[in-house]
Amino acid sequence: MRNKLITMQEAVAKYTWDGMTYAHGGALPVGSDSIAFGREMVRQGRKNLNLISNCNTQQSNLLAAVGAIKRIEVGFAGLEVYGFANGLKRAIETGQTIAEDYSNGAIPLRFLGGALNWPFVPAGGIMVGCDQQWCSGDNPDEYPATNKMPEITDPFTGRKVAVFSVAKPDVAAIHVTMADIYGNAIMLGTEWSRYELSRCAKKVVLQADFIVDTDCMRQYPNLVRIPGEVVDAVVYWPLGVWPQCSVGVYDSDEEHMFAMNAAFKTPEGTEEYVQKYVLSYNTREEYLAMIGKEKIEKITNNPTTFLMDPYRKWIKSDDEIKELEGRAE
Amino acid sequence: MDYTRQELMAIATGRELRDGELAIFGVGLSMLAGYFAQKNHAPNLMAFTEGGVFGSTPVGGLPWGIEDNRISANATSFTNAIDALCVLVASGRCDVGIIGAAQIDKYGNVNTTGIWAGETPWQAGRYVLPRVRLNGSGGANEIAIGCKRYIIMAAHEKKRFADKVDYISSPGYINGGHDRQKYGFPGGGPSAIITTLGILRPDPVTKEFYLDAYFPFSSIEEIKDNTGWDLKVSPNVKVVPEPTEQELKNLREVDVTGSLRKK
Repeated sequence: MRNKLITMQEAVAKYTWDGMTYAHGGALPVGSDSIAFGREMVRQGRKNLNLISNCNTQQSNLLAAVGAIKRIEVGFAGLEVYGFANGLKRAIETGQTIAEDYSNGAIPLRFLGGALNWPFVPAGGIMVGCDQQWCSGDNPDEYPATNKMPEITDPFTGRKVAVFSVAKPDVAAIHVTMADIYGNAIMLGTEWSRYELSRCAKKVVLQADFIVDTDCMRQYPNLVRIPGEVVDAVVYWPLGVWPQCSVGVYDSDEEHMFAMNAAFKTPEGTEEYVQKYVLSYNTREEYLAMIGKEKIEKITNNPTTFLMDPYRKWIKSDDEIKELEGRAE
Repeated sequence: MDYTRQELMAIATGRELRDGELAIFGVGLSMLAGYFAQKNHAPNLMAFTEGGVFGSTPVGGLPWGIEDNRISANATSFTNAIDALCVLVASGRCDVGIIGAAQIDKYGNVNTTGIWAGETPWQAGRYVLPRVRLNGSGGANEIAIGCKRYIIMAAHEKKRFADKVDYISSPGYINGGHDRQKYGFPGGGPSAIITTLGILRPDPVTKEFYLDAYFPFSSIEEIKDNTGWDLKVSPNVKVVPEPTEQELKNLREVDVTGSLRKK
């Protein structure tokens, strides 16, 4: 087993590049996601991204707002009760970002197909017979589109069935609640499509709220849905899902959720946001100071924190983590 | 009695759910309607969200999302998207679902993808960008194809109730009649459209939605005026019963932050 714990700056420098197919992993639009990883991609100026978002989150909203996404495959493009995702909405309406729409079930099935190395995935009835089948962002003038979900003949029944292409992103950045230095990881809350995503991406980077001792994994091996064997790098970034929530750890920062989304309505607002909340820190300590002590106290006091109780004794301290980061293999 | 249109819409939707059913709710209004039913008359309703959050009820107010802490604080199981949306819903196993709509047509087809201002996205053979980009289907497409029946909730406005939607994100009865069978959907289609003014149901043969009942504060004329197609009216059209005190009390206990109280 290899120590894969590296810094956020190193992880983004090594595992992301302009023009790549990037997938970010989390739980639907306002739950867990590797948002701090996305902030670092903006800090390092990544652009022309081909994004696969099972759901939009504030990460894809930010990347779209700064104009870094040329194309997105997406199941749900909003922010649920927080409203439309203004950055992504603006990018699609102006034609800057090409949207290839899928449903929320279709994207994980395409991840699973990629993970299994299948040539395609039968759609069942998903997206069939409606404009999600007939309208393709990649070939928008062709209606009905023939290449997005082509029909083949079921060899057993002779019936026509529609199929999906499979998804194999270059890199997936996946948020997990806790990971050890080898990449074994436990997620609290819905896993959403993170199991499939961790298997279909060519490289996998984990962003963890906590680094824990491997003894934790040995106590709860059934809960380790992402084993280190499929992981390339681990990054420790506390409150890395902020302003969204990480079940068991911190709540949504409702005020910042609205303010961030409001800023993305215009390029000027976005620029101001980036200056204030993306470029303004270099270290984890500075990032936490930016969020503020009072806010952190408020969001870490929530009705889900009991979910972390069984794991607390294995959590590594910031000093231990710094030392381990220096010894990555 | 003092209640809002949104509250009666949520209560009327909740009344459609039966005890013991397996049910999936979307975010926002549909979730409040669903958990209201569980609290009010269907204690054994088995509710889950598309993220695979099972056995929970909201804590501290309307959840910001179907995966957030307010719906994750007392769950009995967390699974995943393929389990909830594909295995339990798209497969045809789930009894009932509730979805929302930005635009809806007379066959119950739902648009949540974009507004092209009454046109299709293809004008003179060319694709045009949406006037307003919406959220996409999310998991509503799986609910629409797979649930044994599903309920659509929408604010009753003429711009939303269109003769034809600009884009079909989630299928109702497509072009009516037996059209769903042509596509092999395992689910039965929308059983009701519950609006801020009344209840529409599909004709058993043509599948065109007609007015079945109107809210006590509304009228047939108001509903027809706010519908973009020539809405047929049931010969036995009814008035939806007002919320009982018990129903309102139970709804407001679920909607603790009062999101439905805003007029």
